[in-house]
Amino acid sequence: MESEELIRQIMSEVMANLGKDQVSFAKKPAASGGVDASSYPLGEKMPGQIKAATGKVLADFSVAKVKSGELTADDFRIAPETLEMQAQVAESVGRDSLARNMRRAAELIKVPDAELLQVYNALRPYRSTKAELYGLANDLETKYGCSVNAAFIKEAADVYEKRGRLKAE
Amino acid sequence: MKSKRFEALDARPVNQDGFVTEWPEVGLIAMSSPSDPKPSIRIEGGKVCELDGKQRADFDMIDTFIADYGIKLENAEAVCKMDSLELARKLCDINVPRAEVVALTTAMTPAKITEVVSKMTVLEMMMAVTKMRARKSPANQAHVTNVKDHPVQIAADAAEAALRGFAELETTVGIVRYAPFNAIALMVGAQVGRPGILTQCAVEEATELELGMRGFTAYAETVSVYGTEAVFMDGDDTPWSKAFLASCYASRGLKMRFTSGTGSEVQMGYAEGKSMLYLEARCIYITKGAGSQGIQNGSVSCVGVPAAVPQGIRAILAENLIAMALDLECASSNDQTFTHSDLRRVARSLMQFVPGTDFICSGYSATPNYDNMFAGSNWDADDYDDWLIIQRDLKIDGGLVPVVEEDVVRVRNKAAKVIQALFRELGLTEVSDAEVEAATYARGSQDMPNRNVVEDMKAAGELMKRGLTGVDIVKALAKAGFDDVAGSVFGMLKQRVAGDYLHTSAILNDSFEVISAVNQPNDYRGPQTGYQISDEKWEQLKTIRQAISPENV
Repeated sequence: MESEELIRQIMSEVMANLGKDQVSFAKKPAASGGVDASSYPLGEKMPGQIKAATGKVLADFSVAKVKSGELTADDFRIAPETLEMQAQVAESVGRDSLARNMRRAAELIKVPDAELLQVYNALRPYRSTKAELYGLANDLETKYGCSVNAAFIKEAADVYEKRGRLKAE
Repeated sequence: MKSKRFEALDARPVNQDGFVTEWPEVGLIAMSSPSDPKPSIRIEGGKVCELDGKQRADFDMIDTFIADYGIKLENAEAVCKMDSLELARKLCDINVPRAEVVALTTAMTPAKITEVVSKMTVLEMMMAVTKMRARKSPANQAHVTNVKDHPVQIAADAAEAALRGFAELETTVGIVRYAPFNAIALMVGAQVGRPGILTQCAVEEATELELGMRGFTAYAETVSVYGTEAVFMDGDDTPWSKAFLASCYASRGLKMRFTSGTGSEVQMGYAEGKSMLYLEARCIYITKGAGSQGIQNGSVSCVGVPAAVPQGIRAILAENLIAMALDLECASSNDQTFTHSDLRRVARSLMQFVPGTDFICSGYSATPNYDNMFAGSNWDADDYDDWLIIQRDLKIDGGLVPVVEEDVVRVRNKAAKVIQALFRELGLTEVSDAEVEAATYARGSQDMPNRNVVEDMKAAGELMKRGLTGVDIVKALAKAGFDDVAGSVFGMLKQRVAGDYLHTSAILNDSFEVISAVNQPNDYRGPQTGYQISDEKWEQLKTIRQAISPENV
């Protein structure tokens, strides 16, 4: 009986959260100025509002502009604002951890490729001391404003310390 | 005297396969090891302080990561107390919508979800897969490799695979330094076959990311995770490094999924006496916690291990189901070869082929087996007609469509010519007319002339050094007069600006429109619901070149 009550309780919560679309649960209303699954795919439904990391508008992209050199490789990079919108879409269909990943990613857009690879390699087991990981985290935060990633890297350093996965000093 | 019956049986292909009895102490057990933990979770102040029988103070790295990121905690304690049999029934019950199941499964612990799926037969699991697959329509992925790393053959095989219906193509290398050539040949060849195909090049993590950043690939898949800490260390990564890598990909607008599979831990010698399925469940929770949109699982390259023990193939289906139940895209393996028996290899694949998954094979070898650089495939190019006829027999959509020879020859020839022109425009190595001709009609690399490997590697290295990108490829293709292919490569590059294909189970159609679990979620609720083969599609699927029609008789 206890478990049946529980099911009823969870079911009623789920049902209460169900929107028109029966498949997505925990549909949250779009925050003011935000987006949700109804705006998706953003690139098809609102290309005039999607900008590349360089600020160029997606709706204006064309092969002709690539040929003329007006669009360069840098223009084909996603903008932090776009990833934030995609994170909101993910949240609107109940995918919180995917949204968290997109928000970490939004911070990392500014970080140059080589530096990104360097941080990834430093996070591998036995590659770094705790101080080195903390240093990298602080660098990312001060140079590029990556506060979420900085906290994530410091947390990793603490876990590595506890589990003996740091580089021997 | 020897029994003639047994003599004949011993000579059967299946008896060349390896089988072992269960040995739980070393983890040689597919499901339900006596050492598998009992499900439990205790949350204090919003933090998990006990997970599957272990206290936080005793957590290893994986426990910590799953406890902090992998489980939706709101209902976790309540769901853990629910009857596992009742939960198993919900998973395969057509009257319980997918969303309701996901609310329960994403609140489960790894031991709980393992216990739940262990209550189900393979038939019930297949029913559950039909409902729980994230994307409404199934799809398929192919491997495009060859022993010579011949870029012209890769382009031709990619074009053919795209024409045949695969939504994603994956390559890898024999010689590592060929990676840029293989990635470019695959991407360009695929776009010739059908615009909007997603491509990847499986190499070492950092190199794979760099190829993606350059615009030579659209996604990555070989981001491996493991179920015990010791094996993770052997794999030279941690849940944190892999989660960071996941964010790196998203920050460059690249699709990405993790990879794991039953048997990897016991194969690497650190299974801690746990069942393969329980350890795989831990991998799937790491994947979920890291924020990956999906996973390639189903034992993958370790398939020989579960296939050797009792109910190993059932465990593979169970791990696919767990991935889907956690609302992840599932590329369900059916890739590496594991048996000498044609009967067995088909039976193994029907588990995913019949219900349909996001990618039934990950992948299906688009070459003969001798050219498959992922150590051989359960399905290969020589099986194309078998796959098509099984689809036709059962009226199921396994992601492939019948094609005619002249169309295949045409797209192979065009892909080869495009690579020839592209290499010329980019100042890479020469592609001869003889190579174009050979690739057009080749079955595999045995039909291809040899390349000058030293010159190729030099050119591949140089193109990386001079900072060549996908934009240069668009320009070169346009300059060479292939405006349509230039437009398709441009269409792929544009995807990374919008990022719509970063969502769960995303693929693109031939107009570069995204189809994913966001705008095309699985709404299966029993007969005549969910994905239905349209009349037009059925016409296509049943029209095979071998069929004799009454007017021909």
